[in-house]
Amino acid sequence: MESAYALIGYGLAAIGPGIGIGLIAGNAVQAMARQPEAAGMVRTTMFLGIAFTEALALIGFVLFFLVG
Amino acid sequence: MITAAETCDFINNVVCKPENVNSLFEFGNFGSSDISRTEILILLAAIIPVVLMFFGLRKKSVVPGRLQSVIESIFTFVKDEIALGVIGRGGEKFTPYLISVFMFILVGNLFEVTPLINFPVTSRMALPLFLSLVTYVIFLFVGIRTEGIKYFTNLLWPPGVPVALKPLVGAIELVSVLLVRPFSLAVRLFANLVAGHVMLSLLLASAYFFVVQPGVGEYIISKAPVGLAWFTLGLAIYGFELIVSILQAYIFTLLSAVYIQTSLHPEH
Repeated sequence: MESAYALIGYGLAAIGPGIGIGLIAGNAVQAMARQPEAAGMVRTTMFLGIAFTEALALIGFVLFFLVG
Repeated sequence: MITAAETCDFINNVVCKPENVNSLFEFGNFGSSDISRTEILILLAAIIPVVLMFFGLRKKSVVPGRLQSVIESIFTFVKDEIALGVIGRGGEKFTPYLISVFMFILVGNLFEVTPLINFPVTSRMALPLFLSLVTYVIFLFVGIRTEGIKYFTNLLWPPGVPVALKPLVGAIELVSVLLVRPFSLAVRLFANLVAGHVMLSLLLASAYFFVVQPGVGEYIISKAPVGLAWFTLGLAIYGFELIVSILQAYIFTLLSAVYIQTSLHPEH
């Protein structure tokens, strides 16, 4: 039963980063469409933002394996 | 994971998990005569970039050959986009470190989608943790060398923080910079590769379990389409994992560069 709770916890941990990555990618696409010459810089910053946001979901994933 | 599913008690356990999760965090015995598969692959991941670099850049011809142009494009990508693009002034000094980390992680990750190997060495926690600790030591060392002991006070209290907020900000910065940074850098690489490896092995093995070894005869008709559907999805994920393994090598190198940059140019 504990592992089921861990699974639910991982699902909850994935909600926030999911929304965050969506926002980052959407805004990056918008920025690239408005200013195509800045696409390289925007892409690097987008990957940075995604990497920081994604960490939360990944910590949830690891905790699911450790606790569950 | 798969052997665990066979011995799993489906009635009492809601989720089946492998018997020994700790094996993900083990590395093998140093000093003993038995060499594990992980250690051989780590050695390969260290040797392959060296060999590629050596043969790619042995004859520096003006019109590059196929191997030379690939190696040169990787090199200029890391040098221009990551070392000079992120760190900026003083970034040339860190190019050798960044390029070796990038090539090592790239080859280690690509073992995941190499047929017949299918095992990313970076999905053992020891390896990403060690790499992130090397980055940690480098950015602390660089910070101390640029600012002296003031590096730590500037780290804890960024200039312009009101006195009343200093304990709170100090505690947050202490945890986020000195603990979460190396930990999340390691966990990001580790968890991405573990997730990809587990997903690939489950989806691709489902063809074996559902089609080749379906149990009693009459189930074949109803089980084979399920197995084939999962197998097809597994092939699609295979392509996705190829992108993920390249992207994670890039992100690890990029974040190492960002951390070094914050120590090297603290005014930003």
